Amino acid sequence: MSPDLTSVWKRRADVRYRRVEGEAVVLRQSAAEVLVLNEIGAAVLDLADGARRISDWVNALSGEYDVDQETLTRDLLEFAAELEHAGLLERVE
Amino acid sequence: MTFAAEFLHTPDLFPGRRSGEAWGDRRVAIAIPGGPYVFSGLSADQEAGVRRRFGGLCETGGTGIETRVFAAPASDFREVDTRGWEYNLSMDFAPGSVRFAGLRLMGRIDWAPSLTTPSPTTPSLATPSLAGGLWTPEGEGELFAPVLENFFRVLSAYRLLETGGVLLHSAAVADGGGAFLLLGPSGAGKTTASRLCEERGGTVLSDDLNAVVFGEAGAQVEKLPFTGDLGDRTGGPLQVPLRALLRLEKGSEERLLPLSPARALAHLLAASPFANRDPWREEVLLERLERVARSVPAYTLVFPRGGRVWDILRSIPL
Repeated sequence: MSPDLTSVWKRRADVRYRRVEGEAVVLRQSAAEVLVLNEIGAAVLDLADGARRISDWVNALSGEYDVDQETLTRDLLEFAAELEHAGLLERVE
Repeated sequence: MTFAAEFLHTPDLFPGRRSGEAWGDRRVAIAIPGGPYVFSGLSADQEAGVRRRFGGLCETGGTGIETRVFAAPASDFREVDTRGWEYNLSMDFAPGSVRFAGLRLMGRIDWAPSLTTPSPTTPSLATPSLAGGLWTPEGEGELFAPVLENFFRVLSAYRLLETGGVLLHSAAVADGGGAFLLLGPSGAGKTTASRLCEERGGTVLSDDLNAVVFGEAGAQVEKLPFTGDLGDRTGGPLQVPLRALLRLEKGSEERLLPLSPARALAHLLAASPFANRDPWREEVLLERLERVARSVPAYTLVFPRGGRVWDILRSIPL
């Protein structure tokens, strides 16, 4: 099923991260990988708690970025899929 | 792969606690940052091998972080074809211990206070600490010393973490103004850059592993006896203020590009041997590395073969 506003993601169990001046340093311990995500990537990691839906992400971030909701939704869905592909998130709904 | 299966025929028989048959009754203390470290249960030949390897760092008697050395049957260990092979220890992490296996070695580090209970021959440390156990079939000094060194690298990584420092896979080159810590995976050019700096008057602390500790004067690089292809450099300073972090990249032209603290932290994390795979010590490691990353400027240094690495480093403002 394609992701939409009702989709839910959570961080994978082996993902640890630390925010440093807006960016997020992400450690995937099982793969011994270290990544750096930009500010929106860091925000997505915060929001991907396995409970909040994409619609909640949009509500949380719409005031932070000068972009319309449709574009923000599309970007967040793409970003979540990328982070899933990178092994940082897993989709739970 | 199952823990230790690469190195042991029967990983399930990995020692569950620090016990076994000692090689002998000799002991040697080695004074390096985080220590002194005491290795006991050695045979005379093993002691001689360790003293040859660590030279003037060895002390007679004394107390410190205790590791007991035990004999293990050679038949426990697999023969490993090391041609074209990169040596990585097999590791297993738990809240109160770390177990690891490698070529002709089984090791464990325990934090349980009961294991540091003083005995008549092992006076207590001021604070509860870690303690090590090393099992090996290598009784001959020259073969035992590298086994002990591989164990020692892991032990010192955890001990430094415990005492407020961190061990980093790095090269450190220094002048009177401070030390530059060169980071990058194997093949990134740490030894090459160290050699280039040395040719131009820089002092190399180590081209493989260095300690960063914090003192009243801020972050300091401490020399360790763990070196790479460049080998030991005797003499020179033992502790130098950290001046900058450099992530090395080989390229066709020289460039020095600023790194954000987050990216510096990412490179430091990748350069933290053993502990960066340990889920039970990750918070303290991240906290420590962030402190390092925030303490000095960080850059990516792109350099060609034969480049003016030392001149570029020295141009970095204090």
